[in-house]
Amino acid sequence: MKKFFALLLSLCMILSLAACGGNNDQPTSTPDAPKQDTPAPAEDNKTPDPEPAAEEDTIVIMAPPVTGDYADLLAGWIADFQKEYPHLKVEVISTAWDDHSSKLSTMALSGEAPDIAEVSYGAIGTYVEMGVAMDVRPYLPEGALEDYDQNALDYMTLDNTVYGLPLYLTIQALGGNRQMMTEAGVDVDKIQAQGWTYDEFLKAIEAGTKDDTYGFVFANAAVATGDFVSIFGVGAGITANFTKDLKYAYTSENMKTLLSSVETMVSSGWMPNYAVEAGQRLVMLQTGNAMITGKAMPLFENNINKNNAGIATGEAVEGSIEVEYAFLPVPTMDGVTESCFGTVDGMIMLRNNNSTEEHLKNVGLFLNYVCSGQRAADTVNQILLACVCQSGRDAQAGADLGQDPRNAEASTRCIGMVQAPPTGVTSEQAANAKTLMDETIIPKFQALLAGEISAQAMYDEVCARAFDLFGQDGCETGVIK
Amino acid sequence: MASGLYSQHLRNPKVRVARNLVMGIFLFFFAAVVLFPLVYMLAWSFGPAQEMSSGSYAIFPKTWSLDSYKHFFASSQYSVKWLWNSFVVAAATVVSNVIFASMAGYAFAKVRFKGSKFLFFLILMAMMIPYQVTQVPLYILFVNKFKMTNTFTALILPGCVTSYNIFLSKQFFSGIPTSLIENAKVEGATQFRIFRSIILPLSKTVLAVMAINTFMGNWNTFFWPFLVTSKESMYTIQVGLKTFKFANGTLLSPMMAGATISALPMFVLFFSLQKYFLEGVTIGAVKG
Amino acid sequence: MKSKAPTLRDRRFRITLEDLNGWAFIAVAMAVFAVMTIYPVISAVITSFQNYKPFGAEWVQFDNYKTALTNDLFYKSIRNTAVYTLITVPLSLVIAFSVAVMILPFQRKTQSVFKSLYYIPAVASGVAMSVVWLWLYDSSPSGLFNQVLSFLHLPTQNWLSSSKTAMLSLILMSLLSGQGSSIIIYIAALMGIDNTYFEAAELDGATFFQKLRYIVVPLCKPTTLFLLVTGIINSFQVFMNAYMMTGGGPDNNTTMIGLLIFNNAFVYGKYGLACAQAIMLAIVIAALTAIQFKVAGDDVEY
Repeated sequence: MKKFFALLLSLCMILSLAACGGNNDQPTSTPDAPKQDTPAPAEDNKTPDPEPAAEEDTIVIMAPPVTGDYADLLAGWIADFQKEYPHLKVEVISTAWDDHSSKLSTMALSGEAPDIAEVSYGAIGTYVEMGVAMDVRPYLPEGALEDYDQNALDYMTLDNTVYGLPLYLTIQALGGNRQMMTEAGVDVDKIQAQGWTYDEFLKAIEAGTKDDTYGFVFANAAVATGDFVSIFGVGAGITANFTKDLKYAYTSENMKTLLSSVETMVSSGWMPNYAVEAGQRLVMLQTGNAMITGKAMPLFENNINKNNAGIATGEAVEGSIEVEYAFLPVPTMDGVTESCFGTVDGMIMLRNNNSTEEHLKNVGLFLNYVCSGQRAADTVNQILLACVCQSGRDAQAGADLGQDPRNAEASTRCIGMVQAPPTGVTSEQAANAKTLMDETIIPKFQALLAGEISAQAMYDEVCARAFDLFGQDGCETGVIK
Repeated sequence: MASGLYSQHLRNPKVRVARNLVMGIFLFFFAAVVLFPLVYMLAWSFGPAQEMSSGSYAIFPKTWSLDSYKHFFASSQYSVKWLWNSFVVAAATVVSNVIFASMAGYAFAKVRFKGSKFLFFLILMAMMIPYQVTQVPLYILFVNKFKMTNTFTALILPGCVTSYNIFLSKQFFSGIPTSLIENAKVEGATQFRIFRSIILPLSKTVLAVMAINTFMGNWNTFFWPFLVTSKESMYTIQVGLKTFKFANGTLLSPMMAGATISALPMFVLFFSLQKYFLEGVTIGAVKG
Repeated sequence: MKSKAPTLRDRRFRITLEDLNGWAFIAVAMAVFAVMTIYPVISAVITSFQNYKPFGAEWVQFDNYKTALTNDLFYKSIRNTAVYTLITVPLSLVIAFSVAVMILPFQRKTQSVFKSLYYIPAVASGVAMSVVWLWLYDSSPSGLFNQVLSFLHLPTQNWLSSSKTAMLSLILMSLLSGQGSSIIIYIAALMGIDNTYFEAAELDGATFFQKLRYIVVPLCKPTTLFLLVTGIINSFQVFMNAYMMTGGGPDNNTTMIGLLIFNNAFVYGKYGLACAQAIMLAIVIAALTAIQFKVAGDDVEY
């Protein structure tokens, strides 16, 4: 016992000595390190090697489960990639959706960001502000950029700089039970083909509400509320945080209209007056407790079909009924051009302590590889979306996704209506817009849904805070057409 | 033994029995309330491995099965390794805390040395900085300077002596009469021997409390292991559980099974250390 | 550091100065403390004066502090945290103390059963328990708590999604789930009280409550102080419940300062601001702790 104790003690002494040694040069080197790096933000301080082709290199990519088995898919692609480029190793860091951004932030803040990371449009500004997101254009293979749709690339662009490549454009709107809607006298085909007005929507959910069924259920618990704002915002003409002339959009007249419409909807009784967890909305559609639900993606058709098949085998949600899924556009308010909420998830390129010119070229090579061709097609096919690059569409051609043609058409139509955000937004504006959304709009909207504040009060609060951040001139207060 | 607080004036056994009965019933009732979420977790971990609608929330599942547990072990080839990793990390942390935090606590409580007040003040102050902002410098230290990603050292070292445990043991040792230590000193015992043969044997309760709390804290930590591990084989159980999306709100049973599995070693540890909690008597002999 | 290694050995042969003894005893702890705590804290303090960027941080003097102090949400989150702390910490202590006192008169076997029952909830992980509580607090009429309310013919509540009940829900959850360890620590302290005190009091004809008031409470003071101080520190840094349960909503009514700091550091990339907020929080906690030590008075030595 004594011996053990002494051994442990000495072991720890040694360990702590070593740790102390590490610590001593620590405080001096940290403030210095950034200084050494600052003079060369675009290029790098290390000189590129003269013989790059033979140089071994490791590329780090970090991704959440974009599709259920994305990690496995990646592993397969990497194996293929290495056949062609045996000197390049690729390391994958798999994350969970919930914690992807906090891990990425920590790594980026430490100067240890992965070379490539999955990021959605809304979060790019944060990394640009942090000074770690990199302009990908110099590092991509010749002509690679032309493969991607401009519309989708715009989402990867801030202040006219392209920070990454798009993976897919996802659309978020509503989903419904086709049979129930037909019974309630709604012409589903017409809505899918032509869209609908806000009044038509209200009439439909009124007719759909009976006994145990709500006409409309939107996941609105905690942070899911944000989706409500962005999805219905598009129906009210607010297609992005900023208008075409770079003014903040959530202070416009359209927002006021949107908020008062939501106020009516909440008090109508056609949607639950309590908070619904994100996971529950789909379950309510499956069990027939809801006629229309949101947010919904085309992908839900798979979930619904799987559940339908499970009814017989007992694997379905308890109390499930057979549901025919209809992907629906968001209702459009009067005087506004119809549109659909879309956002792009992509892979951005990040700077770390490893970033030599040659390394970045390799990263660019792999980045383009992952986002294009068969890889893009494989990813997108699983989530029932369309490719955003020509090579992906070519690879996708002829694939049978087993999707209801009416839904496929509706989703193609919606994708076509998505309006890319203006590309001149600065990273500061983007970061401020995110803060405003999270700290003011979503919390106030929660209160509005809970019937605790009026639409006008919320609108005034949002305006006050926005004027603070962007200046009154930087905010649109009129009507967006 | 502090039972003197109660019994002396109750010569009438009937009154005593009635009193204990009332308190016992109250304690049981309150314990039932406190335990309810746990019972709920345990019961539903045996529920069906499928999505649930909120309409079917009940205290107990209608059908019982082991599907959710199978689901957990089938989710990754490393799921058992995660448990092992967590165990190694938590156990190593417990050992080093019990030894070094209690040593430091003893020195702060009973050894008069220069700088003790100041250093103890520093330790207290350090507890007040929220951990969120210390994660980034620590991450730089471990990943950038030490190159320790995916190592046990990186998982263990940050928690190997915590301020909380130093504070806890110092508070406890302060209660041990100084005369006991002075006597031993007169007899020629070194401080180390005093600590080993007088203090530690008297402190089993507090050491057991420290051990359990530390084990629990480490076992349940998510964020740090999540940051410093990127290989599936080095995940701890908490990272594994979250990364494999057991946190999907509607897949109740698999999630509860995961939670139950992750809580199980804690139960084992608790019951194996339980007897030390009962040794309060020995402390009573010296304290006060 | 290096000069200390020999003293460890020397100590066995001669009675050394208390200084050397003390330093030897704390050596490992302090080495770890310096690297794992002091260094990151100093680094955080430095960062709080920067517009932090991993490549090229800029010095901005007190800008981060100014930004924090002019932000309404910062004050709101401090207020939320203070309310949460002022209710949960004292109530927790009262509950833990009462339960500990009530467990005391039973026989050993019974005692250990109760101790286990009360400690067990503490062993399940916070994340798993928050999921259970989310289900309990489900706002639909079929949520468990709402079923209980319906059974009692009370209106159902929008638990976590209404400004009226969200904070209350978090408090209730905290009170019902986190007492195990305090109870055990209190019992250890109670068992440590020598019976002679009670015998003397008995001779003077003291009642149960008098004994509690004049013997038990003062003698448990070091324990109470420990639990109070650590309780307040933990409560001020609380983050997991708001993060898991409400995301800070509705209307930021459950946004705790810990959540705000987390969001600034890890969601918005405003790490310098997060550090400034953290340091101000630490100052607030330090002031509160100093007051507690002052109030605790001289009979407890520190």
